[in-house]
Formats: sequence, structure tokens, C-alpha cells
Amino acid sequence: MKVDIVDVGSGNVRSIQNWIEKCNVDARCVRRVDDLVSEVIILPGVGSAGPYMERLRKNSFDSAIIEHVQGGGRLIGICLGFQIMSSFSQEDGGIEGLSLIDAEVKRLENSASHNEWEPFAFRKDQMNGQSFSSSEKLSRKTILDGRVFYNHEYGVINNDPHAFTVPVSLKLNQYSGMFVKDKIIGIQFHPEKSQLTGLELISMIL
Amino acid sequence: MRVGSTLLLKNKKCYQSYNWSYFRPLGSLQIAMDSLDEYECDEVAIIRPVRDCDSLDLFSRDLDVLRELKAMTPISFGGGIRSREHLELLEGLPVERFVFSSAFIASNQALVDSARRLFGKQAIQCLLPVKVDADTIYIYDSNKAQFLRLEKVDLALINELANEVVLYDTSNDGGCDSFEKSIIERLPLERNKLVVTGGVGKSTIEWAKREGLASVLIENKVLHNEYSVRGFKDVK
Repeated sequence: MKVDIVDVGSGNVRSIQNWIEKCNVDARCVRRVDDLVSEVIILPGVGSAGPYMERLRKNSFDSAIIEHVQGGGRLIGICLGFQIMSSFSQEDGGIEGLSLIDAEVKRLENSASHNEWEPFAFRKDQMNGQSFSSSEKLSRKTILDGRVFYNHEYGVINNDPHAFTVPVSLKLNQYSGMFVKDKIIGIQFHPEKSQLTGLELISMIL
Repeated sequence: MRVGSTLLLKNKKCYQSYNWSYFRPLGSLQIAMDSLDEYECDEVAIIRPVRDCDSLDLFSRDLDVLRELKAMTPISFGGGIRSREHLELLEGLPVERFVFSSAFIASNQALVDSARRLFGKQAIQCLLPVKVDADTIYIYDSNKAQFLRLEKVDLALINELANEVVLYDTSNDGGCDSFEKSIIERLPLERNKLVVTGGVGKSTIEWAKREGLASVLIENKVLHNEYSVRGFKDVK
């Protein structure tokens, strides 16, 4: 298995690469759309939605990612990369996303900023049948219980009743911390900076 | 509340400081980060302790070390980010947040706005090195290598543009649990945006939790005495 990480010059792609490689899976940063060939694509994102979508469009990554998913490929979106999978984000005056998931992105309530570690737990057998088609069996672990790091001001509100989601926290429970539907996983926290929990998560989902 | 640590990066090597002027070498940044990763430190602020003699070339050389860093702990980075040329060099670093000091002190809104567009509003922190002297508060302007009276600094702009504000007590830097708590009483900044460092110990952590601060950064004790940061996290 190999993993391609979309690199549009925005986001800490090296940390993502380090995270993937720690579980002995090859990962490479891809700057040209023609080089996207792996079965799993990671869409990282740091920054704000407007400039990020502009960069994706400028490099034709937007259509390539949609084609990848429609062709049966797996996609992991992280933080802003998760948010722009939705149809619409309130950020930067309103941005149209990739519309890969039935969700919308809104400013966190009370205009708060969420820079915190939060408890994170899920069981694979409670994922509403959503498996992300993981076939490699990097880990036999089925229960994850740890803590993850968030750094965001906008959150994803899921509208799809068939998707599996884990809320950001008890207080921010209307926003999705993790979203799984078919071959798409969205992660609002930074798994690449969530220490042991991040490592366990990637070995469970890949 | 987060419990993190501070590391200084100078001439591609890692240090910790005392009294805002003396430096204790720690060796390579990667080795120090590996220890902090293992201690499950909540975050690490990597700061270049630059003064008025910095250059784009020195900045770029330190970034070479940072770029190669492999870490699984959230990192903020700052020290000498003073122009758009500096900003361009920051792309692709394994860093979540960027720390601006002189830019805020000089009210360089254009630079901070550019950074907000590039990295997101949540990624911008302001660092204010603070000194209390005879009831007067001074802020250190690293670009000019001098302390200014607090009145010279536009705190409203900082409150508006900075996601969090790091208050660095320069007088107690490296000290044992001696952070000057009156600083936050005299700065009209939102408590839940404040990060404190400089003489942070267990009683400071207790106080910071009661005050509802965002984070504390322990600057010396974690690596100097080889304590695990977990001992500090257990503070009620």
C-alpha cells in the first residue's frame, strides 16, 4: 500500500508523511496532479478555506480528487482538508467546497477558537457499517480510547444520517471530530500531532 | 488547560534560557523534541531568541533544522518573522502555529493579515516579553533590542488579530515557580487567550487553571531536571 499526500504548498505535509511512515506505510508528497496514483489520498490542510480552495483549483487537484473518489479510491481529509470536502463553508465570506460529503462548515458557536486536547474514543463495530474498506489489517485493534489535538475556529456539521461520526467534544457535540462514509474519512483534529492516539488511529483505518 | 514546554532555537542548536540572557545548550532540536514527545507534552513552542542582529540568512538556516524535524506533538514557532520574505519561507514546516512579536509591537497589521490568510486565524500567536519594574510594565521589542512602556503597544490590535497571546516573564525566565502573576491583572487581554511562560512551576499551574488561561509553557524544568511533564499535568 502507498499513500499520496496532496501538497499545494499549504499545510504541514511533512508531519503527515512522518505520521504515515511511522506505521511502515510508504507516503509521498504530491505537487503535480498527474502524480496522484495511489489508492489512498490524504488531503491535509492548514490555513483558511478561500486561499486553500484557490490553490486546489489552480493545480486541478479539485477535479482529480473528485474523480479519485468516484473511481473507488479512498480519501482522508484532515482539518481544513476535511472541511473543504463539504458543500459549503462559512469561512472567508462563503466558500463552495468539493461536495464529497453531505455536510456544511460553520463558525464554532460563540465565535470561539478551539485549541485543546480532547478525549477521543470509538469502536470499529459501531461504525454504522462504514469501514473505509481497510483491507491491510495493520492492526487488530478495534477499540481506540485516547486523546487528540484540535486547533480550529470552524467545524463540520454532518447532514448525512448514514455517515458514522464522532463529535468533537461533549461541549462541541454538533460538530464532527471524525466522519466516515464509504471510502471517505474526515478528521477535524490533527492526528499527525496526537501522539500515541494518532499512531493507533492510522494503523486502524489504513 | 494545556501544559507545554518552550525550546529555544539558535544557530541550528537547541537551548533553554535564564534571566532572558543566559543560554544553556541542549543539543539537537530533534533529540529535545523526542524527549518531549515521549513525555506527552501538550505542545512545544520553539522560539528563536533573536534580537536586533537577525538576518534572513540566519532565519533560513534555522528553518533548515526545523523543516527536518519529526515530531508528533503540536508545535508553534516564532522569533524573527518580520517580513513577507520570512513568511514565504514558513510554508511546509511541520508546525501548526506561528508566533509573532515585533510585528504586533510595531502594529504591522499587513504582515499579520498575510500570515492569517496563509495559515489561518487559528494559527497566529502573539508573544509579549514582559518585565515589571517599580509597578510599570515594559514589553521587550526584539527588533529594537529594547524595552518599551506598555502604553506604546496596541493591545486592542493584538486582542483582535492574535488567536492567543504568550506572556513571557523575562525577569523570572528560568526561575523556579516565580512567574509574576500580577502581569495578567494589568493587561486588558482575554484570559482564555493567554499562555504564560517564564518561571512556571506547580503553583503557577494551579493559579493558571483557576484563572482559566489557555496554556502554560514550562521553559526549563522538563528537560533540565529530566522531569516528565506528566507531574505538572497532575496539578489540580
